[in-house]
Amino acid sequence: MRQNDRIKRSLVRELVEENIEAIERRPRGSLRRRRRHQRIRWGWWLLSGAAGMAVGALLFFLVLDSGGRLYRQWAGGGQVQTAADDGSVLDTLGEVVLPAGFTRPEPLEPTVIPLAVRHIAIDPGHGGEEEGTITGTGLMEKELTLDIAKRLRRLLLASSFTVTMTRSRDEDVQLKDRARVANAARADLFISIHVNWIPNRQVRGVETYYLGPTNDPHLNELAALENRDSGYSLADYRRLLDSIYADARSAESQRLAGAVQRSLFSSLRRTTPELSNRGVKCAPFVVLVATEMPAILAEVSCLSNEHEARLLASPAYRQQIARALFEGIRNYSAPPETANRGGGKGKES
Amino acid sequence: MSNAEGDLYIGIDLGTSRSAIATSNGQRHVVESYVGWPLDMVARKVVKRDVLIGREALDNRMMLDLHRPLERGLLKEGSEKDQAAVRQLMSHLLDLAAVREVRDGGAKVRAVVGVPAEALRVNKEHLREALQGLVDGLIIVSEPFAVAYGLETLLHALVIDVGAGTTDFCMMNGHYPTDEDQRTLPNAGDWVDEQLATLLAERKAEVNVSIHTVRQWKEQWSFVGEAEKPLKVTVPVSGKPTEIDVTDEMRQACEGLIAPVAETMVALIAAAETEYQEKIRQNIILAGGSSAIRGFAQRLEQELAEYGGGRIKVVDDPVFAGCDGGLALATDAPGADWEKLTT
Repeated sequence: MRQNDRIKRSLVRELVEENIEAIERRPRGSLRRRRRHQRIRWGWWLLSGAAGMAVGALLFFLVLDSGGRLYRQWAGGGQVQTAADDGSVLDTLGEVVLPAGFTRPEPLEPTVIPLAVRHIAIDPGHGGEEEGTITGTGLMEKELTLDIAKRLRRLLLASSFTVTMTRSRDEDVQLKDRARVANAARADLFISIHVNWIPNRQVRGVETYYLGPTNDPHLNELAALENRDSGYSLADYRRLLDSIYADARSAESQRLAGAVQRSLFSSLRRTTPELSNRGVKCAPFVVLVATEMPAILAEVSCLSNEHEARLLASPAYRQQIARALFEGIRNYSAPPETANRGGGKGKES
Repeated sequence: MSNAEGDLYIGIDLGTSRSAIATSNGQRHVVESYVGWPLDMVARKVVKRDVLIGREALDNRMMLDLHRPLERGLLKEGSEKDQAAVRQLMSHLLDLAAVREVRDGGAKVRAVVGVPAEALRVNKEHLREALQGLVDGLIIVSEPFAVAYGLETLLHALVIDVGAGTTDFCMMNGHYPTDEDQRTLPNAGDWVDEQLATLLAERKAEVNVSIHTVRQWKEQWSFVGEAEKPLKVTVPVSGKPTEIDVTDEMRQACEGLIAPVAETMVALIAAAETEYQEKIRQNIILAGGSSAIRGFAQRLEQELAEYGGGRIKVVDDPVFAGCDGGLALATDAPGADWEKLTT
């Protein structure tokens, strides 16, 4: 009974916090995180104090006991090496020192072995104070992209894919950090989800981007808009672009963009016959620059169009978008006859 | 867990089909979620009112600009009329519970209102705007969570709330449910109505009935599995009252709900920690108006058989389970917190 009361108190507190966050337009979970940080700070001060006392006492006894041996051991220095399983040796920096007579292996061409796509990085666009586009009624791009991303994650997990999300809640994540998350997880594909805003508000369509140069002023403008707060300097950005435009990854990204765009258009046109196919395009989006895998940015709908905005407010339409993205990924990953038809359970990393 | 004496606490289930209210002074009311304004002066003279709500609005629908303001459990976006309709509906519920008198007496009225599990923040903002000034404090809560809280089913349990607009799922793990613990499906009571209407149009083209009539049939006779007896209804065909058998159509429409609900139920249980899955399977709560479909809970239990079996309990009072939970939350929220939740 006491446990039940404790759970109830905690549930009510979290419910109240969620409502206060909504009223104050704070990101979800921010009050809880603030409370946790306060607890951690207190804990840290207490631990630091205790640890300081313990170290002081230990040093006092060591100095008394060994009379200077400790100092000699510190001053001796020397490089530490560790044997690896294959007989090679790891130096202190983790670099492999090969045994004599062995040469460093060359990387394989990606086309030599058909590699399965198992691990998808999903990037819900914007988040935190970066709200993205927003309608007069308050529908926010950051909220929609996260919702669609979570639906896509469920579909992928149910079909045995491994999924990494660049953000799972309403928080600011710099563009370069999004790529870093995907690279660290060694994802096979990177899917960035966005909702478009087009000045001509009659337009309703879907378009999918992969990384590349463009002379189209509208696309440069769009890229500039999405690239705000990227976390890269101009020099970094130019260096990365130079290395990537010539990359073989570009061709795979284009193929992935094609599969996703076809799926988005054919699926969503059933609900919206007026939907226009704005096609596969290339543009210099920063979030695609630093990824080490085929990467695309899908503009899954137009929030600038009143009808689209109304559709986006419905969970069923957001599910349809997630399903279309999923089908696109699956079609890219394997020919239809061998596509993974589910049954297994994926995992999150 | 205390509240100030004299203040009134209320729980509201603002549903697509029905809306219910339960208050801390023992009032309980339910109305159908319809609001209608007379179409013209003639209609106004006939109905003798500026606005009609609930069953009365439905019965006089030919003379009214009729609104069902909550679509799939959420306030329809972009229509001022629907926003006004929600406000009228809420005012009506609050009047039934004599809330105005309480406020006039100087006491505060604090409400907890349930919405679908996956409602976006913007949907909640619209609701908050629509209810501005009607109550002193407002908490918006996921409907299945409110049901679970009211039943004190807080640990290792799954609540499935099959309403008219949405079917909501909420996994109770002893902590406040995150997005991952909750799901919303568009397949619910209204979806069954649409299926039934489509099947009738396909197979019995001579029958021309409104969606309201189809809904009434479903509310009276919905079932899955074996029919207790043939389901026959009398409808006008070319103006002549004619008896038709709708047993197969009713079964097929209702059974269409089983696959998506069972699939989501199994997916949520499978996502729980392995050691608790058995406990959760034995602790599934079925709530919402559409939980009254005869044989539905048993069919969901059958779907669990291949996963080790499970037990599904239908709530005793599907109409009030949500608002009773809301009321429990309202009374348990500390008074100091309510001060931060003013409308």
